[in-house]
Amino acid sequence: MKRREFTAAAVAATIGTLPATRALAQAAGAAMPAVIPPVSADSLRKLLGAQRGKVVVLNLWATWCAPCLREIPDLVRLEQELAPRGVVLIGVSMDEPDDGERVAAFHAKYFPAFNTRLRSERELDAIASVVDPAWNEVLPTTYILAPDGRVVRRVQGTKTHDEFRALIEAALEPATTR
Amino acid sequence: MSKVPAFLLALFTGTLSVAVSAAPIAVSTTGQLALAPDVAVGPKGEIAILWLAKGNPDTPEAKAAAAERAKSGHSHRSSMNLYVAVSKDGGASFSAPVRVNREDDEVWGFAVSRPRVAWGRTGTLHVAYPANEMQAKLGKSVLTARYTRSTDGGATFEAPRRLSTVTDSDLSSVIHGGFASVAAFGTMGVAPNGNVHVLWIDTRDMKGGSDNGSVYGVVSRDDGVTFGPEERLAAGDVCPCCQINVAFDAKSRPLLASRQVTAGNLRSSSVGRADSAGHFTTRVSTGGTPWHLDGCPLKPTAMAVQGTHIYTAAHNGADTPPGVMLSASNDGGKTFATPYAAHPGAQVSDAPAFAAIGQRVLVAWHAKTDGPRRVFYRTLDADGSALGAPVELATGEGSTQTPALAARPDGRAQIAWQQGDLIYTTALEVK
Repeated sequence: MKRREFTAAAVAATIGTLPATRALAQAAGAAMPAVIPPVSADSLRKLLGAQRGKVVVLNLWATWCAPCLREIPDLVRLEQELAPRGVVLIGVSMDEPDDGERVAAFHAKYFPAFNTRLRSERELDAIASVVDPAWNEVLPTTYILAPDGRVVRRVQGTKTHDEFRALIEAALEPATTR
Repeated sequence: MSKVPAFLLALFTGTLSVAVSAAPIAVSTTGQLALAPDVAVGPKGEIAILWLAKGNPDTPEAKAAAAERAKSGHSHRSSMNLYVAVSKDGGASFSAPVRVNREDDEVWGFAVSRPRVAWGRTGTLHVAYPANEMQAKLGKSVLTARYTRSTDGGATFEAPRRLSTVTDSDLSSVIHGGFASVAAFGTMGVAPNGNVHVLWIDTRDMKGGSDNGSVYGVVSRDDGVTFGPEERLAAGDVCPCCQINVAFDAKSRPLLASRQVTAGNLRSSSVGRADSAGHFTTRVSTGGTPWHLDGCPLKPTAMAVQGTHIYTAAHNGADTPPGVMLSASNDGGKTFATPYAAHPGAQVSDAPAFAAIGQRVLVAWHAKTDGPRRVFYRTLDADGSALGAPVELATGEGSTQTPALAARPDGRAQIAWQQGDLIYTTALEVK
């Protein structure tokens, strides 16, 4: 019973944060994309390569993955908190590649400040293999990449703001002490 | 590193207990993405291959449908059609694909919520699948369990029937991306006595608080002409996105393989035998490390039953490295042996399937070793111990995945799999 109450509260809390996230994005002048930019394995590789020197949080999610949706507001908030220290959040929606309009509508409605792409590869595995050839198709999966591009953590399942923050801080440490 | 052909690998390792006995045949239509095959072999050796096919998203009709779906925003609709091809010559040739569903793009499914096919004792071909519907009162999308059958060997199918009840439950803000309710990730089987069992995972008991599903099901005692009342068979503790499987003992009592969620969000594969009321009130873990995950595993538990032996296979993310773990019970499901890895050394393995053939069991899965995902298999002894090393399915280059298996009356196994955009099948010798 306790768990049920907790879960309900977590869902309610998540849903409660959505308008706030949207308002934050609108206040910040964030663009509301009509389409989600597609990303292939090659373009993801280039995108990640262009972030060298920063800590990248790569989040694999899907509109149908309820646990994914719970953690996205926290990840967006963390990026806003840690961007000055060189943290970049990149999402990749694992929804169907030809479902762009629906995913874009969903994104604009719930997570407009979430910097995400939509996979253009038919195979889920093709995208994840850019950073993790052993990905087991669990969602959400979040990778934390060090400034040199290495994956330093693979996180599966929903994590809280504080749990993510601790993992990202750990990845930031070598960069700040170098 | 170049690939070593499977037969050469087997010669070197001396472990060849299974061999491809014929050239693979593509059964799906070129130019159309086909996925999630299932296979069934009938009492006379008839073979049915079932698969999902994605329509062309660039047609005006498909674009209009996509635009309509986009209006609902938060939605997980997939738009698939369901096809079957049948062989009546032992797999030497297959019919042209026959569409099973009536309404365009009504089928919801993917590799881990695959539609199911089974032959009845007298040659009826049964098909069960999840379908998109609208709940009129709520004006929201729902997923329902559908059934249809063919009484002419797969040439034509009856109008599909909904088996699950659509309730007023609205969990669209919580589950599966906007569906008000879901009946999916199901299974179907024909018991030795001919009864047709269709089971699915249902969200109606979530009530906005729990993330876990219940198992509901129906039984037909007249070869699919009618079905009895829908019943809740396992309550509120099933991983909602981990496809279930049903098999039967010699007395036609169903056994259910599912991923059970226990306190602390621990997910473990389990097997339960139906009680006298047909309910799975008691289930036994198949062993291994419980998997703690607040996420979507999307991991079915495969099962085969042979006498008092029960064989299970499922991906466990709690093991290192994550992969398919095999387990067996030799006491009718009271206890299970310590699981072992189906594919030691693989980077990752998943999507297991079984066929029990005499005193042997064939298990297939897909795995990544040093290249793209490929289908592998190995033979197990009656007690569940491995008889040989994993063997890669001898077929063309590129990605091969999501195998399905069925035992043939000639002692071989029929395997179907996705290779690129096509569904292939062949027979495997099991020695």
